[in-house]
Amino acid sequence: MARTIGLDLYWNGPMRDDDTHTQISLIEKSVDRGVVGVIVSPIQTLPLRTPIRKVLDQGIPVVVIDTELGIPPGPKLSYVLNDENIGGRIAARRVGLILQGKGSIAIVGIRPELKSNTLRERSFESTLSSEFPGIHVAVRRLGLSSVPQEQHNAEGLLTGSQSLDAIVALSLAATRGTYYALAEFAKVQTIKLVGFDQDLLPPIRDGGIDSVVVQNTFEIGRTAMNLMNREIQGGSGSEASVAPVLLTRDNLDSAEMRQIENMSWWSSE
Amino acid sequence: MTPALTTRTRSAALLAAAILGVMVIAAISYEAFVPQRQIRHAMISLDKQDSWQAFGGTWRFADGVMTNNSDERGAKLMTGSVDWSNYSVEADVFLLGQYGDAGLIIRGNDEETGVDAYHGYMAGLRDLDNTLMMGRADYGWREYAAKTISPRVDAEQWYHLKFLAFECDFAVSATAQKGETTTIAIRDPGCIKSGRFGLKSYNTGAQWRNVEVRPATQSDLEAMIGKQQPQLAVPTRLPSGMEAAPYDRFLEPIERDLRAHRSAVNTQAISSLRLLSPEVPSSVTVQGVVTLTSPMLYIQDSTGGLAIDSSRPHAPLQIGDEVEASGDADLRDFSSELRNADIHVLWSHTPVSPVAVAASQAATGSFDAQYVEVQGRLEEKHDDGHGTEILTLEDESQSFIALVTGLGRSPHLEALKEKSKLRLRGICTVDSRYTHDLTAFALLLPSAGDIEVLEGPPWWNSAHILEVAGGVLLLALASVTGFYFVERLRMQSVLDERQRLAHEMHDTLAQSFAGLGFQLAAIREDVRDGIDIMPQLEQAQEMVRNSHEEARRSISALRPELLESAGLLSTLEMCARRIVSQSTSVEVKTASEGTVQSLPLGVSDTLLRIGYEAITNAIRHARCSRLTISLLYGSATVELIVEDDGVGFVISSDSAGFGIRGMHKRADNISAQFRIDSAPGRGTSVHVLAPIPPSLARAIARRWLVQLKVRKAQNEFTGI
Repeated sequence: MARTIGLDLYWNGPMRDDDTHTQISLIEKSVDRGVVGVIVSPIQTLPLRTPIRKVLDQGIPVVVIDTELGIPPGPKLSYVLNDENIGGRIAARRVGLILQGKGSIAIVGIRPELKSNTLRERSFESTLSSEFPGIHVAVRRLGLSSVPQEQHNAEGLLTGSQSLDAIVALSLAATRGTYYALAEFAKVQTIKLVGFDQDLLPPIRDGGIDSVVVQNTFEIGRTAMNLMNREIQGGSGSEASVAPVLLTRDNLDSAEMRQIENMSWWSSE
Repeated sequence: MTPALTTRTRSAALLAAAILGVMVIAAISYEAFVPQRQIRHAMISLDKQDSWQAFGGTWRFADGVMTNNSDERGAKLMTGSVDWSNYSVEADVFLLGQYGDAGLIIRGNDEETGVDAYHGYMAGLRDLDNTLMMGRADYGWREYAAKTISPRVDAEQWYHLKFLAFECDFAVSATAQKGETTTIAIRDPGCIKSGRFGLKSYNTGAQWRNVEVRPATQSDLEAMIGKQQPQLAVPTRLPSGMEAAPYDRFLEPIERDLRAHRSAVNTQAISSLRLLSPEVPSSVTVQGVVTLTSPMLYIQDSTGGLAIDSSRPHAPLQIGDEVEASGDADLRDFSSELRNADIHVLWSHTPVSPVAVAASQAATGSFDAQYVEVQGRLEEKHDDGHGTEILTLEDESQSFIALVTGLGRSPHLEALKEKSKLRLRGICTVDSRYTHDLTAFALLLPSAGDIEVLEGPPWWNSAHILEVAGGVLLLALASVTGFYFVERLRMQSVLDERQRLAHEMHDTLAQSFAGLGFQLAAIREDVRDGIDIMPQLEQAQEMVRNSHEEARRSISALRPELLESAGLLSTLEMCARRIVSQSTSVEVKTASEGTVQSLPLGVSDTLLRIGYEAITNAIRHARCSRLTISLLYGSATVELIVEDDGVGFVISSDSAGFGIRGMHKRADNISAQFRIDSAPGRGTSVHVLAPIPPSLARAIARRWLVQLKVRKAQNEFTGI
């Protein structure tokens, strides 16, 4: 996409998911290199506000992915957001489908400090209560930062007194950690797992994870590049939402999923 | 035309040959004198940290092994030359964790900190899908090939990797300790031609050893892959595990990973160990974060800390690792220890923050085995001779020691000064193996970086007090000596002035009084003889008037403030005009030449007195109609000229009257040259040429001026 509109890409990112300092530093270095635009997916929302404002003050177009910084879209600023409302709704309907409208579930990986996480949780619970009143949320667990911690968390859940029919995990770490715990206790067949953002595909094919709501990263990237091009050409910034999709064992090999998961976009051909 | 053309062609050919020759010689010299640009078959010294450049990661070398303990995405450690093209790198590689990869980079360029932030080729082992993989990074990753390793890729096991680049062909092979060799080869037509090599890990820590680099040839490539041509490099389109079948191999590392992080159900709080029976041996399982690894392993949970006997083999531990430890609880008087412990890491990067406590709190034993922050004043430091630095500190009533192990010569520690106030972070222990029952507690510090200097030692120590006393004594001695020296100078100056005044009075007033005495004696004789005494009386009156005038002039000359306020030439002019107004009408002119300089008081005073004398003589005795007073300033001299157009006189030894002798003597006192030019009817001119003694500032300025002139002359010479 970038090549077709005549732009060279400098791609880099911090080596840790919590390294906001490096991400800010990379943005500043990019500006020093004289880039004509910045596309950034902030690790954290608030610390990126000032650095992005500084980039905008220099007249450099910015496209922010996946989170709103609180700065309204303007002539040089656009947002491309994963539609968390749709994501929550998709997950709720999947749970409703596999439990056939009744049962007891747990929600894990709740991160109140992340707006996107809160949105997907509210959308999930709202859809669930309105469309599947027979499904009861028995347990809610706050999210932790790593897969092993989430596994430990889920182990406690599985050894507790609650009887669960399904678990909804709202983050990558929570999905994978819960899957590990289910596999560890050999409960993958009895407790269904619906996750978010998880990128390990074999358990989905194997059925260990029922389904994962995945971001359409291909479409997000293409939209971001389009918005950047428009801003560079003098157009106004805007906010775009991209709907996530449900990845299941049945559609893993579909054309749509292959487009999301394949890596051909990086090819130099 | 033809001969000229031939000559020109021959000249051009000769010139081209000469240029080519120079280029060849330059190229040979370049290669010969820049050895780092040549690839030689060599084991790479992993311990020479200066030759390696890290991009992320936490790299540490020990026992012949380079370790990156960080699970960052894409930590790199680079070395070699960007000019290296055809070469191979071999190394043993050891993955420390799951879901990552580790390997080697060749032909690396433009490296930065960041994920895949470099241009180059990377090959390595990935345990997620049990593969040997190879690809190219251009600030983004393009994977060209991934081949399943036999039997599989296990973390914490050594594999031998060989990665070769020849022209645009690349080959990599991996050999497990008891397995087969797996080889991949690709051809990248638009390849990166040259670059450095390096070590890289992604999403896991890793270790490398026996790193070896050597030049590569076609035959080396064929030795790895045979005669067949490598397949063309085409990026794989699907991530690992996307393929429909077979996928079982992808589940195996997942299952290993989940087993690795599986935690025991019956863990108990560390503080609860104190409730166990000291009589019955108890096997316990605890969970906590590693707070120290050396000299003893310590972990901590929310209830307390625990020392662990970690003599059993276990994976390398880092501070911040959450671990589960099962072993025998050993209950002691003030603390507990876990013996024969089996340890496995649950997850990493959850460091514990220290609790700030006073030394008196730490001394109670309530914080035993916990990570604390304590302040104290450094009393003493010494090395125990086995690589442990021991600091003795004090805070209020408590003394304690802090131990820092395995640092070698730490500049940070060496810079610590006794009596400095320090803040230390470490494990508080009441274990007598460390306190030796001399102090209530000891601190085991993870590193020298856990010592922070809050303030330096107080300035008022005994050494400084002695230094100050000595300094004050010396100053007093110097002051007394200086005072006496100045006083002596002052006395000498007073004596000199007295002597000068005596000479002055002798030459002027005494002479006048003597003359007046003689005159009065003559009057007395004339009165006795009945001779008319009026002429003598008039003469006596004239003598008194002259003496009075002389005294006035001397007093005026003793008033330096006049000199300071009006300047030498103006003062002389004022003097001349005053005398002129009293007697005849004489035209007075003044002139100044050269750059006016400030004169030392002695010089200006002498010139003033000589000038007075000369002016008085000219007006009173020479009957002149015009008087010129001139001051000529040279670079190191000043000349006073008093010139009149009066009657003049014959200069002879008898003509030393009119104060000429006094003028001469005054000139001698300041090492000036004194000269009188006169002849009857041709006027008189008095010349005094006095040297100006150089002051310090004047000497510096003169030297600077000389240097400036020299430089200017040099510049003019070189044409700048």
